[in-house]
Amino acid sequence: MAPQRGDSKKRKAITRDSPEADEVLLSDGGDEEFLLDGTVSQSEDDSDEEENDVYSIDGGSEDDIRSDEVPSEDEAASNEDVKINGLGTVHIPQKETEDGDLEASNYTVTADANGNPRYVYNSIHPVYDSDDSDAPATTNTIGNIPLSLYDSYPHIGYDINGKKVSRPAKGEALDALLDSIDVPKGWTGLTDPSTGKPLELSQEELEVLKRIQMNEVPEEGYDPYPPTVEYFTGKTEVMPLSAAPEPKSRFVPSKHEAKRVMKIVRAIREGRILPYKPPAEKEEEDKEVKRYDIWANEAPRPDHPMNIPAPKLPPPGYGESYHPPPEYLPDRAEKKAWDEADEEDRDKDFLPADHDSLRKVPGYDRFVKEKFERCLDLYLAPRVRRSKLNIDPESLLPRLPSPDELKPFPTGCGIIYKGHEGRVRSVAVDPSGTLIASGGDDGTVRVWGLRDGDQRWSVKLGTDEAVNVVRWRPGTDTRVLAAAIGEELYLIVPQLVTAEREGPGADITDRSRDIVDAGWGYAASNSANGPSKKQPAAQWIRPASTRLQDAGVLVKITLRKTIKVISWHRRGEYFATVSPQGQSHAVAVHTLSKHLTQLPFRRLKGLAQSAQFHPSKPIFFVATQRTIRSYDLSKQELLKTIQPGARWISSFDVHPGGDNLIVGSYDKRLLWHDLDLSMRPYKTLRYHKKAIRAVRFHQGGLPLFADASDDGSLQIFHGKVVGDLMENASIVPLKVLRGHQVRKELGVMDVDWHPREPWCVSAGADGTCRLWK
Amino acid sequence: MDFPDGGREPTHQTQVRLQLRSRQADISLPDKTGPILVNTNLRRYALSTLVNTLLQSEKPIPLEFLINGTFLRTSLEEYLTANGISAENTLTVEYVRAIVPPLYLASFEHDAWVSSVDVLSSTSGAGNWMENAGFAPGHERILSGSFDGSLRVWNMSSEVLATSNSRTTPAIRSVKFYSPTQIVSSGDDCAITLWKYLEDQGTLSASLVPKLSLLGHSKSVECVAVHQRSNRILSASADGSVGLWSTKQSEGPSVPAAHLSSLAGNKRRRVSDHDSTPQRGPLSAKKAHSDCVSAAIFAPSDSTVGYSSSWDHTLKTWDLTTSTVVDTRTTSASIFSLNALPSLSLLAAGSSDKYIALIDPRTSATTITAMTLRGHTNSVVSLAPDPDSSYGLVSGSHDGTCRVWDIRSASSEKDGRVGKSIYTISRESVKGEERSRVGGEGIKVFDVKWDSKIGIVSASEDRRVQINQGKGMLNNDTPKAQVLQ
Repeated sequence: MAPQRGDSKKRKAITRDSPEADEVLLSDGGDEEFLLDGTVSQSEDDSDEEENDVYSIDGGSEDDIRSDEVPSEDEAASNEDVKINGLGTVHIPQKETEDGDLEASNYTVTADANGNPRYVYNSIHPVYDSDDSDAPATTNTIGNIPLSLYDSYPHIGYDINGKKVSRPAKGEALDALLDSIDVPKGWTGLTDPSTGKPLELSQEELEVLKRIQMNEVPEEGYDPYPPTVEYFTGKTEVMPLSAAPEPKSRFVPSKHEAKRVMKIVRAIREGRILPYKPPAEKEEEDKEVKRYDIWANEAPRPDHPMNIPAPKLPPPGYGESYHPPPEYLPDRAEKKAWDEADEEDRDKDFLPADHDSLRKVPGYDRFVKEKFERCLDLYLAPRVRRSKLNIDPESLLPRLPSPDELKPFPTGCGIIYKGHEGRVRSVAVDPSGTLIASGGDDGTVRVWGLRDGDQRWSVKLGTDEAVNVVRWRPGTDTRVLAAAIGEELYLIVPQLVTAEREGPGADITDRSRDIVDAGWGYAASNSANGPSKKQPAAQWIRPASTRLQDAGVLVKITLRKTIKVISWHRRGEYFATVSPQGQSHAVAVHTLSKHLTQLPFRRLKGLAQSAQFHPSKPIFFVATQRTIRSYDLSKQELLKTIQPGARWISSFDVHPGGDNLIVGSYDKRLLWHDLDLSMRPYKTLRYHKKAIRAVRFHQGGLPLFADASDDGSLQIFHGKVVGDLMENASIVPLKVLRGHQVRKELGVMDVDWHPREPWCVSAGADGTCRLWK
Repeated sequence: MDFPDGGREPTHQTQVRLQLRSRQADISLPDKTGPILVNTNLRRYALSTLVNTLLQSEKPIPLEFLINGTFLRTSLEEYLTANGISAENTLTVEYVRAIVPPLYLASFEHDAWVSSVDVLSSTSGAGNWMENAGFAPGHERILSGSFDGSLRVWNMSSEVLATSNSRTTPAIRSVKFYSPTQIVSSGDDCAITLWKYLEDQGTLSASLVPKLSLLGHSKSVECVAVHQRSNRILSASADGSVGLWSTKQSEGPSVPAAHLSSLAGNKRRRVSDHDSTPQRGPLSAKKAHSDCVSAAIFAPSDSTVGYSSSWDHTLKTWDLTTSTVVDTRTTSASIFSLNALPSLSLLAAGSSDKYIALIDPRTSATTITAMTLRGHTNSVVSLAPDPDSSYGLVSGSHDGTCRVWDIRSASSEKDGRVGKSIYTISRESVKGEERSRVGGEGIKVFDVKWDSKIGIVSASEDRRVQINQGKGMLNNDTPKAQVLQ
């Protein structure tokens, strides 16, 4: 039990200031022995105070010490022995002798501020042993007293010779003043939360705190890295310590070794021990990954155009130098551009950089990547000599034939037909190709000689309204002209050969008259049959004035609304008129031989714009503002609804083949429809700056079509339709014909083709017709 | 014009050998004349003087020099440099009589557009077809037909001697002097009319009386050609037919029944004051063209052969005795005019495509178009050969100009030989502002004739017959007569 007790004593001695220790002392108030023992051991270990402190810190709590170090009695005894042996025998008698003195004079018990007993120890009388001559000569001769006590003196203590040790040079008077301000020692300004008293820290405590704050060992002067104490020296002694000769045993082969060796030899002979064979250094092969050496079969080959050796890397240039010439160094803008560029877009992989010396060149960060890419280049880039294809992107476009190859087409103004006052609204070339009919704002219909531009005939149909449309009846054997002014429609046989000069040329006129007049009888008989029927759609009468009759105006048909479009059936038996404002009367189909007018559409969706007969089949096309509908006349049903996508259709024309349609619109578009292909336009041509007024196919076998626009120009297109269904129509713009002047936002009002030649005739708002050829 | 610098001799003067030739017999050098070494700085005038010296002609003849088909307009040196010819070569130079520019002489004003014109002179076909044709020298006449349907006969001092009845009638398309006393006209009335033309001796008046109406075409008769010796008229009509008619009333058949019957329908409105004019039908009228026939002519050497041209791009050769088409030649554009170049056996055809094609009508010819003459900017509607030269030609076009061509001056281009006009006659009425006339607006030339006595006579939309000097423009190298034999 003694060592245990000793331990606890030691502990108490160290932690004497701590309240726990006080408590312990209080609780064991009667155990005087313990205290005594403690003091004894304290005195014993005076010289080793530091060691003990360290020890106590190392040891944890009391319980730990106990649990760890409770030895059996025997061991304890032996320990005591060892202790005695180690520390020497001097202390024990000393202990015994001093016991009494200690009790009497070593300390006095006073009461502290709290009323607790306080032990005030007397000063120690130093003995000889206590003299520590090894301690370094201290320069502080005043001892451990505050320096402030010397404040009033010019010196601090005295040296060994009794001379004053002068104070080191002191700071300013202000500093002195500051120093003189009395702040309680260890004042922190904090309050101890447990006691409520101002918390004052002693110098040591502050030091400890400071060290903790500095992340140092709290113990002052503790060296965590003490110099190594070499217990076994590493130095080789040259001279042996002993001069004795080597013992004989050193030179006698060891029998034990021989035994061991023989044992191994036997084992080897018997094959129990196999000689060491280094394991084959096999790479762990992944069965699933197949590897190929692509250069395994590569053999040096003779120089041949088809064999391209691996391209060599270009030799490094000045820019790759560690210290390139200044002109190779990038400026800030280049550097910025290089940084911002995508990695693949950079023209070089590095930026030249300047280094003073080669040893300052950093490692190349792209080295691995560069080598890897080089490998990729070597085996991924096919080394085949290949003729490079320089393809002009233009050549990939489908080649439009040059207009020169598509001749003939109209190229310039041939004849100007002048005579109309005001706009010419409509123009038509007669089926024989020698006459032109035109109608205009002055209310006249004029017939011109196509070649020479001479006016052959004219008649004034009205004064206050314009002739909106003139159309010749198809067929070369007759010469019948249909002209519409206002809501009146006239059938005219122009009296080109005057009556006075009887000529054989009259026969064509007579034939035409016969055809036009043939319906009178039918109409008369019909009206006789059913007089009670509702009002007919139109009235067919002979014009009243003899002036008109003499001029050749034979029939006057009165409809309800202004007629804008006349279109003849190819046989010349029927013709259709369109009056856009007419609603249910908008589209009328007239039968020439019966003088009969029919209204095929009771109701039309939208305003009717134009109507056309199919060139070969019994199909009738009607255009409203947005759509074109085709009707089968024999079955009386709707066939197709064509949607050109234009906002307002102005006119359309049917290709002589019957399967294609061109549509002109007021929103500047010319649309080509392939009826077999789609209901939507096959091609949209936007070349005009203003509305398109008229479109027309060449009817005589030439693949041409033309449009007339308000911008005063006509455009001629090549539009070839191939019979082969696999091939689409080829449309080539050929020529812009300018010449008509724009008057009041109107340019070219109408266009028509010569029946055979590549000539077209246009009617302009400037009062002229022009022949283009 | 440069003057020959014979006096001063430049020290470093290059010289070139010239082989001078001429196709004209009267001015050609003797055959033995070898190449002549001349200085290269000579120009046309110096060369002309040189040749005149060689010819020892009393009166200097102005000459033009053709080298490789182009007229020499610069000095020889510049020509050699421009064409990259070495001065060491021997140049073959053809010289011809120089052309005098077609000076404007006079204009005869009309009331309406003048559609056609013809001349009567001692050298014209009507004037000299017979020794005693009745033409008195000095009585040159100009006949014009206009779009208002009237005929006018003018003397050379721009006085109207006779006018057909001035009532509005269909336009006259073609007029011809048949003889000094007979006139043939045709027009939109679909008929050909033979007029009796009688001048009052002493007074400036004459009478013009229709003598015979030739009916049979159903559309306007665009062109008539006459052959006096065989009393034949060849007509081209817009209905596509070519008619052959006789001028003798006794020879002609009666008017076809189809035409007569058609007259019956409108009898009530017809004034029968023409009943006095005898009517005759065609000897033959065959529809061979699919479109309007623009012109028909007799072959210059053979009156049994005719040529007709049409808007349907074709040129047909007719055997007139049987009235059959012997040959058809197709060109690339509508032909609006046709005339013959007698001594070259070529036909000049003016087309709607603005050029004149020289067509070899012989069946043996391999190429249809021997040469094209380019320069007009609108349809060529009239052609007339030079009476004095077999290589000359004048054309009238809708662009308002007449152009004079020498077919020897031509260059080879990718589409055959192409000739350029040597003179352009513009309308005097719009002098200076021809450029502003788009498409010959208002100045279209409808007809042109070239007579050696009168000159170049052209009829135009500007209501004028314009006469330009035509004498000696090209050199008369062929003594052959221009009239039909």
